[in-house]
Amino acid sequence: MPSGRHPALSDPNLLEVVPGSAHEKLEGWVPELATPEELSAALEQAFDYRGDVLITRKDGTKIEGYVFDRRAGKTLADSFVRLMPKDGGQKMAISYAEIAALAFTGRDMAAGNNWEAWVRHYWEKKAAGESNISLQQEKIE
Amino acid sequence: MAVPISQMWTVATYVLKQKLKGRKQYPLVLMLEPLFRCNLSCAGCGKIQYPSHVLKMQLTPEECFRAVDECGTPTVAIPGGEPLLHPQIGEIVEGLVARKKYIYLCTNALLLKQKIHLFKPSKYLTFSVHMDGQREHHDFSVCLEGGYDKAIEGIKEALEHGFRVTTNTTLFDGADPKSVRAFFDKMMELGVEGMMLSPGYSYEKAPDQSHFLGRARTRRLFRAILSNRRLNWRFNMSPLFLEFLMGKRDYPCTPWGMPTFNVFGWQKPCYLLQDGYADTFAELLATTEWERYGTESGNPKCANCMVHSGYEASAVNDTFGSLLGLWHTTRAMLFNNYQDPSALELLNEPVRPVHAFNPLVQIDAHSTEETPV
Repeated sequence: MPSGRHPALSDPNLLEVVPGSAHEKLEGWVPELATPEELSAALEQAFDYRGDVLITRKDGTKIEGYVFDRRAGKTLADSFVRLMPKDGGQKMAISYAEIAALAFTGRDMAAGNNWEAWVRHYWEKKAAGESNISLQQEKIE
Repeated sequence: MAVPISQMWTVATYVLKQKLKGRKQYPLVLMLEPLFRCNLSCAGCGKIQYPSHVLKMQLTPEECFRAVDECGTPTVAIPGGEPLLHPQIGEIVEGLVARKKYIYLCTNALLLKQKIHLFKPSKYLTFSVHMDGQREHHDFSVCLEGGYDKAIEGIKEALEHGFRVTTNTTLFDGADPKSVRAFFDKMMELGVEGMMLSPGYSYEKAPDQSHFLGRARTRRLFRAILSNRRLNWRFNMSPLFLEFLMGKRDYPCTPWGMPTFNVFGWQKPCYLLQDGYADTFAELLATTEWERYGTESGNPKCANCMVHSGYEASAVNDTFGSLLGLWHTTRAMLFNNYQDPSALELLNEPVRPVHAFNPLVQIDAHSTEETPV
């Protein structure tokens, strides 16, 4: 899945407009982890993801949380993904070598939100004669 | 003068000490994010897109103090999230004032009136209120009608109580320079100590965005806004950084200049990008591949960045790097009108944002008088 980022630019000082970024739709995705390359690529996507993921270790234990860091070593055993567990526990590190499965279980917290959507929402409400128009933050569960 | 002399002296002596010690990478301002929770839901924000369990997290006062002591900067900015939502924000600020740190508490001011009693006026504490322009522009930017009036109420309350207050303004594509100048007049009339400005930038985890201001357009916008300045405008920023925004000078990025600490740790490499986290400040400095970042690195993620978190430290470094830098800064402070007739003409050009149609971006051409100063 392409990341949507623009290629390296020869002289950024001449740019009038810079393309934005588009995140991939990963919610619900369960990647194949047949090779070390697939595992590393999927964990990199988990790091970019704006929601929780579920990691199943080779011993069968599962941990769900938000991946905030990854550290690539020379082997899978010395490469780690770090996450903040959903159950409120402390930060934890899991070796790539321990991971059997990965699933993008949590909601992408920014999917569907963007500036254009807000502009559309605002002018639709305005045209309908509404006032006190706003975007409401979601309740924190 | 927007920055008090005692603060300038503290920063100057700190920078000179770093230079005498031969430190090539030293931080200038710690960006301390005690939480990501916010009471606004701005469409372009990349700081609030986390699952609930992360939004519920917050740094303890002790964690904040440890980070501040570890980093050692004379200045600490407290953004977020909205720091006034932190239940111990009073204690955090008190602890930093006791350490004689110059604090910029960055707030949308929606809760400022309600929480002002948590703080004591001090030369070390400044409320840096997020104001993105005139009423309609600000409300549109923060996705809340009535947000501007609430923020103004908070600013007035803080000023009445004797607090230092500045504004911080982020400008995106579609900003109307004439409206921004009228907004500066209003803020000065209100009595804020100074204003801060920055071009917008795409946070890594922000909602998808079709495009951002490129550097050429950013420079034209800031040249239109900051040339032919009114005499009473005061900016709480490095004057050389403002010249950088206007396209009058160029700098490489200093990504370690304003390091960020939050619930995940020390953010690599800077306030805007998230390329992982270090557990200590020393580890951040030692393990980040700094040459991979900054516009000059060719990293596409850095291509359009002209943000203070990377470039204001470069400007400050320039000021104290040589006698010429010091002279340029003095000149920029003394002769800060920047007369430029062609920049005046830019003010009358129609604003044409590339992104979605937004009919409120340009104010009435007759609502402000723009003549050579």
